[in-house]
Amino acid sequence: MTRYLRSIGAVLVALVLPVVMGACGSSSSGPTVTVVQGTAPDYLDPSQGYTTQAANSSWVSYLGLYTYAHASATAGGQVIPAIATAPPKVTGGGKTYTITIRKGLKYSNGEAVKASDFLFTIERAIKLNWGGAAYFTGNIAGATDYSKGKSNTITGISANDATGQIVIHLTAPYGAFENVLAFPSAGLLPSTTPMTPQDTSPPSGFGPYEIKNVVPNQGYDVSLNPSYASQAIPGVPAGHVNIHVKIETNTTTEAEDVLNNSADVFDWGDTVPPSLLPQVQSQAASRYASEPTALVLYFFMNIKEKPFDNILARKAVIMALDRNALSRLDSGNITPGCYFLPPTLVGHPSTPCPYGDPSKSPNIAAAKKLVAEAGLTGYPVTVWGEERQPRKEYIDNYAATLNEIGFKATTKIIASTQYFPTIGTLKSHPQTGFADWQQDFPNPFDFYLLVDGSGISQVNNENFGEINDPFINSEIKALTPVLSSQLSSVASRWEKLDEYVAKKAYLGVFGYEKVPKFTSTRINFSQAIFHPVYGLDYTSLTLTK
Amino acid sequence: MSTDPALAATGTEFSSDVARELQKEGGIGPYRLAARRLARNKVALAFGALFALIVVMCLLAPVYAHDIAHTGPNDEHITQVIKVAGKPTDVLSPVGIPIGPTWHGRFFLGADGSGRDVAVRLLYGGRNSLEIGIEATFITILLASILGIVGAYFRGPLDGLISRAFDLIWAYPVYLLGIALGVTLQLQGLDLGVFKIKGSSLVLTALIIGFVFIPYVGKPIRGQVLVLREREFIDAARQQGLGSLRIMFGEVLPNVASTIIVFIPLILANSILTEAGLSYLGAGVQDPNPSWGTMISDGIRLIPAAIHLVLVPGLMLVLAVLGINVFGDGVRDALDPRARIRIEH
Repeated sequence: MTRYLRSIGAVLVALVLPVVMGACGSSSSGPTVTVVQGTAPDYLDPSQGYTTQAANSSWVSYLGLYTYAHASATAGGQVIPAIATAPPKVTGGGKTYTITIRKGLKYSNGEAVKASDFLFTIERAIKLNWGGAAYFTGNIAGATDYSKGKSNTITGISANDATGQIVIHLTAPYGAFENVLAFPSAGLLPSTTPMTPQDTSPPSGFGPYEIKNVVPNQGYDVSLNPSYASQAIPGVPAGHVNIHVKIETNTTTEAEDVLNNSADVFDWGDTVPPSLLPQVQSQAASRYASEPTALVLYFFMNIKEKPFDNILARKAVIMALDRNALSRLDSGNITPGCYFLPPTLVGHPSTPCPYGDPSKSPNIAAAKKLVAEAGLTGYPVTVWGEERQPRKEYIDNYAATLNEIGFKATTKIIASTQYFPTIGTLKSHPQTGFADWQQDFPNPFDFYLLVDGSGISQVNNENFGEINDPFINSEIKALTPVLSSQLSSVASRWEKLDEYVAKKAYLGVFGYEKVPKFTSTRINFSQAIFHPVYGLDYTSLTLTK
Repeated sequence: MSTDPALAATGTEFSSDVARELQKEGGIGPYRLAARRLARNKVALAFGALFALIVVMCLLAPVYAHDIAHTGPNDEHITQVIKVAGKPTDVLSPVGIPIGPTWHGRFFLGADGSGRDVAVRLLYGGRNSLEIGIEATFITILLASILGIVGAYFRGPLDGLISRAFDLIWAYPVYLLGIALGVTLQLQGLDLGVFKIKGSSLVLTALIIGFVFIPYVGKPIRGQVLVLREREFIDAARQQGLGSLRIMFGEVLPNVASTIIVFIPLILANSILTEAGLSYLGAGVQDPNPSWGTMISDGIRLIPAAIHLVLVPGLMLVLAVLGINVFGDGVRDALDPRARIRIEH
């Protein structure tokens, strides 16, 4: 009998052991989909990661006090409370933020989420030199002293673990501070997390996912956090599938893998090679789309330098830009436009462009006439551009356009690494050239820093056109303190401002970049949300079968 | 280079092989003899003719552009539609893929990623590459000869200074020095008071390439002059009361002329290659000016869809350099069959 019992026991162990072992290897259940990424994230530790690839995984793995609505287009730019119970209570003339955190939340390692973890998280991001740390040091009182080692803590943040209340003092009113709090790097971490980089073994966090099994330059897993579903935050859904991210540096192979269904998601930060695009568009039309992003492409025109100190010259340029040609130079990945604020942002005007429909052919004859009328025919113009493709091609096209309307344009192409520092030095006196801006967060204020007259500086200047218009300056000053969560209340004012900038022809906007949303047939394409800040939303991925 | 004592008295330095032939041929001059030897080298002449053909084709670029292709090298036709075999075709498709070779006057070799005619740019690019190559070679040969002769003739501190300057330039890899100078000077141009060159000028690229090759020619010339200055005919010239300038350029220079001549095609080929390399890396010819190097660089991103954008300028570069090199070897063999002159960097 004992012998039989032993045999039965052995059989039971043999049957149960693989199940137990499997569970130890991965605590997450559910199907797994493969995301192919051309570029590995810079860091997977949220206190260091700053690239789109890093943020794509960390914004669903490290929730902060606030996050963004899991929605596409403009709705996705809405800041919503995550670990915070409600929008902040702002007092002290916009300088004091009082926030209360939700009770009973637990990190993926089982530790309780505490108010003091917020202070720790911000200090850790500063200590580990997160790329956007200036958003903390530039706004939170005492954060600069902490970063310089003059203080042991950030004096401008106080937290009470008993009540769950956090009070943040700012150095000046800053309406976009909620956006700053929604950065994945402000995603709360347990205070027990080491104050050293944890790139290969990312720290525990609170969110629908957790990042695990990191093999540098090869891949990592973004697995479902089994403890999240029971404590899910309203508006932040638990995911449906586990994600395995595979690094594939060859974008052709990357695109072919998704086309052939051997991988499931093409990284939105990569470009489908033009040679494969027709094949992708014909064979995978139901699972490929070009999604607009908040990246505006434009030619700056220095209004302090001749000929662009003359509005007629600027108008002529805007009328003559061939936006369809410029789009073809970028494999058709540009949506033609004339307004500075991209369509995905609150404040993008709905009125027609003042100097012609940007999606139609340019009016060269009218532009030429304007240049002649201004007495600027034959005036020499140096067009600045960078070496990187297709930006160099934009400049060639732009210079050819300027020549066509009567200027005498020559190009000055410099190395990409040196380009923005060079044109950002005022003594370079760049007349005109290429520029772009991708949002740090979905707030028009983030764009309007670039045309704020008070922001013109001798070096690292970003207002390349040296625009210093009293109306723009006063509007920026008035709109800056408006909280991100109340942006819609001032949408029409931003629209008016953007229309004014277009009418004054300050910037030669030619369009907004589009990025690929491309999946395998396994993925339910129509349900997959393309988020305006973080790209394809992992929590929205579901399988067709 | 070995010399014959009898010939040395004439003040002309040729190899003993050439000297023996000269004695055999009686009154014929050494250069005429070299020309006869070159004429017998059919392979060298064929490649010389190939190079000459490329030069002629490139010189005729404006004629081709105006009368056959009806477009300039920098004219973009991005949104234009042309008829190919009666079928309307986008010069650049909506996703940015350029039209391939049409084998007709317009877009004979297709268009590039900016909708420009590849054949027209190829010929204009060749003009630019050759212009830079020739100017750079002239600068190298002129400065290297002067510095090599002057340094070796006077010896002393002047020679030390020139030699150390040669060593300094030599110590930098050619491309690294070229990129460093190219990137720096392109931004600001070259301003030496009365002498100003714009950053986008082809002369600037020629100047940079000419400069980096100076020690590769200057050092061998200096070495040769060091030997020559101790020879009897130089002593004799000094005894006759000739000035240093006259001795250097009247007596020494003709004796190093054959070496200089041999160096010309070598430097020309290397200058064209270096120009292509620098332009490829963005430190040479500046957009929208075409050069074979910039054309290859522009075509890289479209290789899977339009390989001709890289192949065509690459092939022209290979043919031009091969033509000069094989012809240059022929010239070297004609002047001095035993010499082994190579540019190594």
